[in-house]
Amino acid sequence: MSYRGRGTNASSGMGVAEQSMTTYLELQRKKVHRYVIFKIDEKKKEVVVEKTGGPAESYDDFTASLPENDCRYAVYDYDFVTSENCQKSKIFFIAWSPAVSRIRAKMLYATSKDRFRRGLEGIHYEIQATDPTEMDLEVLKDRAN
Amino acid sequence: MTQLAETYACVPTAERGRGILISGSPKSNTILYTNGRSVIILNLDNPLDVSVYAEHAYPATVARFSPNGEWIASADVSGAVRIWGTRNEFVLKKEFKVLSGRIDDLQWSPDGMRIVACGEGKGKSFVRAFMDHSNFANCVRFSPDGSKFITVSSDKKGIIYDGKSAEKIGELSSEDGHKGSIYAVSWSPDGKQVLTVSADKSAKIWDISEDGNGKVKKTLTSPGSGGVEDMLVGCLWQNDHLVTVSLAGTISLFSATDLDKAPVLLSGHMKNVTSLVVLKNDPKVIVSCSYDGLIIKWIQGVGYSGRLQRKDNSQIKCLAAVEEEIVTSGFDNKIWRVPVHGDQCGDADSVDIGTQPKDLSLALLSPEIALVSTDSGVVILHGTKVVSTVNLGFTVTASAIAPDGMEAIIGGQDGKLHIYSITGDILKEEAVLEKHRGAVSVIRYSPDVSMFASGDLNREVVVWDRVSREVKLKNMLYHTARVNCLAWSPDSRMVATGSLDTCVIIYEVDKPASSRLTIKGAHLGGVYGLAFTDQYTVVSSGEDACVRVWRLTPQS
Repeated sequence: MSYRGRGTNASSGMGVAEQSMTTYLELQRKKVHRYVIFKIDEKKKEVVVEKTGGPAESYDDFTASLPENDCRYAVYDYDFVTSENCQKSKIFFIAWSPAVSRIRAKMLYATSKDRFRRGLEGIHYEIQATDPTEMDLEVLKDRAN
Repeated sequence: MTQLAETYACVPTAERGRGILISGSPKSNTILYTNGRSVIILNLDNPLDVSVYAEHAYPATVARFSPNGEWIASADVSGAVRIWGTRNEFVLKKEFKVLSGRIDDLQWSPDGMRIVACGEGKGKSFVRAFMDHSNFANCVRFSPDGSKFITVSSDKKGIIYDGKSAEKIGELSSEDGHKGSIYAVSWSPDGKQVLTVSADKSAKIWDISEDGNGKVKKTLTSPGSGGVEDMLVGCLWQNDHLVTVSLAGTISLFSATDLDKAPVLLSGHMKNVTSLVVLKNDPKVIVSCSYDGLIIKWIQGVGYSGRLQRKDNSQIKCLAAVEEEIVTSGFDNKIWRVPVHGDQCGDADSVDIGTQPKDLSLALLSPEIALVSTDSGVVILHGTKVVSTVNLGFTVTASAIAPDGMEAIIGGQDGKLHIYSITGDILKEEAVLEKHRGAVSVIRYSPDVSMFASGDLNREVVVWDRVSREVKLKNMLYHTARVNCLAWSPDSRMVATGSLDTCVIIYEVDKPASSRLTIKGAHLGGVYGLAFTDQYTVVSSGEDACVRVWRLTPQS
């Protein structure tokens, strides 16, 4: 049984907005987005969608959309061709928590991640990045096969 | 893309009072020796043709080719033996722990199926003791046909035994014999002569007669300064090449057929090469310096070109060089300025600056101005005169002076970069830049002086615009350990960084940091020196005592 809609996170009390789930499903099922960036809205106490990118956008566009000094969650749809020449697509969940961000932000995102992540079905790989080198395209290429 | 163009190999590690082992290939003129944790495979006919095997976790002591030349067995001080293939990227065949201590020597059986190893520790011990020497027996070798074996010792004698009965049959004649401990011996391929090397700095060729006595045929000496470093500690008779190795690591190649021909001298570094400089007027010449005070000149395409003969051989910590002059600092409180003519150094002038110098840089346009950073401040020198000593109040870890001598950047332990303007002997702080999250380890101005780059102990490098003092390129965080050195390309478009993690990373200033070129495993133990010789060639040096030249192919 998986939760949909509002629910609470035992550790930090952050919920997941309805819109976040539907946007994720759009990426997963209809391939409408290349990436979705989520942010924790402290006032509403939930995870909301901050930005989405169209299917034509590149990985560089995605990394440029992430703030340098603040944490975010992101989902990226990675398309690639395997060694056997199959076109494949894998969904990456990226917990972006830069070392230069405030400790309060890191704590908040870290404790809320689990609850949020469990609600997203169909994630193939998860990456935790504390600086841009840890979510380099090479890292995705290595993980996906 | 990067490609290894040349390797200037290190020399065998040698210590006083002990012989070293070098062995040769049964099929070609390739020899094997060890330095640190590496096994070096060197082609005597073309010294630039060298490969390095760096898989041992402990210092390697000896390496030998198998009789069919396909495998190499190498051993180290932990008692481990590794057998690996000579071709195909040195694929490991087997590894096992033979003794609990250092392995001193190992030998393949003629059928290539077994190996015998000897050394220290609670392991296998020798089969029979021979007590005919009065001092350490340094080396024992069977003749190629197995009919005899010879032992040489620190008592200056060489004794020949029958190969089967192990009875003493003769001696190396004491007439014209060695005057110092004999460290190594090697048989000629036909088993009729032996080559010995000794602490008396000479090598001798002896004719071994049928009755087992040896007479000196020829004494070979290499040119040297005559000091302790010329003592010979290793030898090998490899086909036509007679190889002798001195305590300083110089390899001399004599010809067995033409004994009067002057030897070819090969040398290199034995220890960590901490700095590299390329002189502007001849970009093919590379000057490298290791911390034991050895300065060597290399020429691209040729290899070893000569040693800079210094009047004193003290250790060197920092080195800066311009045409005709080298400025060095060591572990005392002095800065030395040495004029250089060709390969000879003139008389050095020194200045005592009162505390230990930590970093040194020269204003390239007026090299008599030098900036020396010390523990908590800087000292400005004009020639050998101390112009000013400034206590800055923070712990200084790196410094650089602009080519025109008007500006200096000092990096601190806290990662802050302080920019000072220099007027005469006064330093005025102009700005403090905060970006680094670790102590600053290196700062370099770009050749066109429009930018400068700084690296820190937290693996990060930042490129700044000099005028606006804004960050020009960031996220250069791809190293996984401290950044040791940094170099700009001559057109100021690329920055190369070297780190303790053994990688060299080359970034283009106009492109994002993620589109970088990485050279992995450039130097076992860490990269300590870097320089560009031209737009597409990078030279690096490191803890493995080797200097490597890399070619960059521009990406279309």
